Amino acid sequence: MRKTMLLLILAVAFFALPAQASELDAFAGKTGKIDIAGGTAHIPVMKEAAKRIMQKAPGLRITVAGGGSGVGVQKVGEGLVDIGNTGRALSEAEVAKYGLKSFAFAIDGVAAVVHPKNPVNALTHQQVQDIFAGKITNWKQVGGRDAAIHLYTRDEASGTREVFWGVMLKKGQIAPSANVVSSNGAMKSALSGDMDGIGYVSIGHIDQTIKAPDLDGVAPTQDNAKSGKYPVLRKLYMNTKGEPTGVVAAFISYIQGPEGAAITASDGYIPTK
Amino acid sequence: MADSRQQKTRGMGRGDLPGEGIVTALLFGASAVSVLCVAGILAFLAWFCLPLVTEGQSASVLSWTWRPASGQFGILPMAVGSLLLGSSALLLAWPLGLGLTLFAHGLGPAWPNFNPARPLMALVRLMTSVPTVVYGLASVFLLVPLVRSGFSGGSGFSWLAAALTLALLVLPTIVLVLDGQLRLVTPGLRLTAAALGLTRTQELVHLALPLCGRGLKTAAVLGFGRAVGDTLLPLMLSGNAAQVPGGPLDSLRTLTAHIALVVATDSQSAAYTSLFACGALLFGMSQAVNLGLRGLRPVQATLSAPRRLSLERLARALAWTSALAVPAGVCALLGYLLWRGLPTLGAALFFGDTPPLDALLHGAAVFDGLWPACLGTLYLVLVASCLAIPLGVASGIHLAEFATGRAGRLISSCVDLLAGVPSILMGLFGFGLILLLRHTLWPRANTCLLLSALCLALLVLPYLISATRTCLEALPRELRLTAASLGLTRWQTVSRVLLPAASRGVLGGIILAVGRAAEDTAVIMLTGVVVGAGTPGALTDKFEALPFTIYYLAAEHQSPQELDLAFGAALTLLCLTALLFALARSLRASLLNGKSRRWGNGTSAYQRTTA
Repeated sequence: MRKTMLLLILAVAFFALPAQASELDAFAGKTGKIDIAGGTAHIPVMKEAAKRIMQKAPGLRITVAGGGSGVGVQKVGEGLVDIGNTGRALSEAEVAKYGLKSFAFAIDGVAAVVHPKNPVNALTHQQVQDIFAGKITNWKQVGGRDAAIHLYTRDEASGTREVFWGVMLKKGQIAPSANVVSSNGAMKSALSGDMDGIGYVSIGHIDQTIKAPDLDGVAPTQDNAKSGKYPVLRKLYMNTKGEPTGVVAAFISYIQGPEGAAITASDGYIPTK
Repeated sequence: MADSRQQKTRGMGRGDLPGEGIVTALLFGASAVSVLCVAGILAFLAWFCLPLVTEGQSASVLSWTWRPASGQFGILPMAVGSLLLGSSALLLAWPLGLGLTLFAHGLGPAWPNFNPARPLMALVRLMTSVPTVVYGLASVFLLVPLVRSGFSGGSGFSWLAAALTLALLVLPTIVLVLDGQLRLVTPGLRLTAAALGLTRTQELVHLALPLCGRGLKTAAVLGFGRAVGDTLLPLMLSGNAAQVPGGPLDSLRTLTAHIALVVATDSQSAAYTSLFACGALLFGMSQAVNLGLRGLRPVQATLSAPRRLSLERLARALAWTSALAVPAGVCALLGYLLWRGLPTLGAALFFGDTPPLDALLHGAAVFDGLWPACLGTLYLVLVASCLAIPLGVASGIHLAEFATGRAGRLISSCVDLLAGVPSILMGLFGFGLILLLRHTLWPRANTCLLLSALCLALLVLPYLISATRTCLEALPRELRLTAASLGLTRWQTVSRVLLPAASRGVLGGIILAVGRAAEDTAVIMLTGVVVGAGTPGALTDKFEALPFTIYYLAAEHQSPQELDLAFGAALTLLCLTALLFALARSLRASLLNGKSRRWGNGTSAYQRTTA
């Protein structure tokens, strides 16, 4: 009796385990190549998904590259990669020119950040604008210590910059003397070493090495971004040239599906579903 | 120099042996590659710059404000930034390099049991193997905070930080070129100097250095080309604000960093087109420097007595300063790297959660480790070396021994130009080439390992050519005369006499080139490297590479733990490049043993006849 029970449990386990991983079953035995490039915020999600899929389908080769949102549009448009990632919505011109289709999979906020030891814990929208425009140049003007403010911004191809500049700064000027860094991570390592610096990163990138002061009394967290309390947010997109087919279509639906959503959430972003 | 030219024209007639013509044609073919490349790059720049002129945007591009959002695409601040940073790095590195070389050649102390020149030169050779991105990583976390706290003002990401690190980067190039020249020049001088009763210092300062005029210039040209063309260090250290800096603590942006920052933009926008104006400007800059340096006259060895004395004192002071300052700087950076990197070393760093044996023996896929990147870098260097070394050495021989007249001058100026092409521009060229192929002959062309290797090969080609040529031309004229009087043909002279004599220097050039190919990040960034690709399969696949992995981890780390991985990867890359260098050096040693026996007999025979 006990033996049959055990066998039964084993049998159930045997059939149940593959059933749990059913999302990956779509890739079993598949071969071919998926090349992905573009937005740097996407890379952790893409890499993890690629790893899981390639473990299931060894004949399938998925490569992941960065470069920024601009590169994502350019490369997928030219047909150099299958999926081009962007951290911003495509412009009408881009869609029209290359015939691109967008697939959103995550929501991400963008927050102004400072060194964790900076005593400033809250800023107003106006203060942030004035700081980046170079009108406020000393931390004591916003309640901090008496020290010159060091500005950090991102390159023009950055989707993060586009959102921060468009929504937070209301397309106002960024002082030309601002240091320019080329990625979220570079911003983070610059600020984590500079007591008097201020910059901005994707909320998914915030950890103990940097601090995000409240904006008009709202803490910049992904929860507040999701509920709409925190206003500076964007979606993360995958883009293809025309309607995706075959393994590329399977990859996109995997990212948008429950398992993709779990990966997205564990990397600090909010899944769209 | 003039002697060798005369020798070329007076040399043996063509076609002395049936193979001679074929060899000459092959050597010419190798040199023609450089000319074709330069022509290709120029045509490429012109093609992309054309819209700027025809659409009347050149006034907007040649202005002082870069603000794409409001339609202002001025690149002049970046041009000034490149010039300032390149020349300040060279001004730091050239005297230091000269000082180090002099120290190693006899201005240092001569202790009975310990010659400090040996570890010093070993350190310089180690420096050639330190990848740019490793310097960048260590400087961001060590030098930048020092600059920030040491000089109150600014964020530390500054002209100063970038110039200091760049100087370290170009220093070994300068030292190796000068050392090679001095080694060739000094043996012949030693007896003369001793007979005249000169001290070692006097011999070096008044006899050897004036004879090294070409080497001093070559060192400066190569050094400046390297400094102005570097992308990673300015990108990581100089702050990148699109402004003309007011002082060394201010942020600046170079043309190369500008290209790297802006290339990730819509390829139809005016911002993108302005990049090619940047490329053209960089190209023009390197050409101007080449021409300017070529016009310089070598220092004359006729100096009055009091100045001579102060010159010797100056040389001694310079030698000691360099011998103390350079090792201190390098050891600080590398020590910091070791301190951060050593704790991360382990099987998990390379193989992630895959069992190492499975990955090594059965080719199991590795996902969270550096193994695929290590293999990718190794393949890349192998393919690039196979392409570049034969071409480079052949072309160097052609330029030194066969090329004459206008063709020779054209080729050598093309090589100089190619040496001035920054790696980011070479990457842009490769990327543009693929786009062109896709639109025309080959719709399935894509960025891949082969393309990266090809661009890297072009990048290191001029280094190989210059090294081979400089070494051959610095050989004593008597060798050529003796060979000719023995009835050797030109090719026999080159292959049996000159090449073996110059093999040390030629292999030095190859070492430099291999190291350069292994560490370059800017080229591969645009031509096929990715963050995750697994172990490289075919030449047409995308691939991972260590330098890019370091750059990516340093820039995109999600946690302090991931940043630690960057330091681990940097240490790994350093070990890999150091290993390559050790390999190249042991190869050189074995080659020398074989050759020196043959060469040794020749020398003694030569000495017997002259005695």
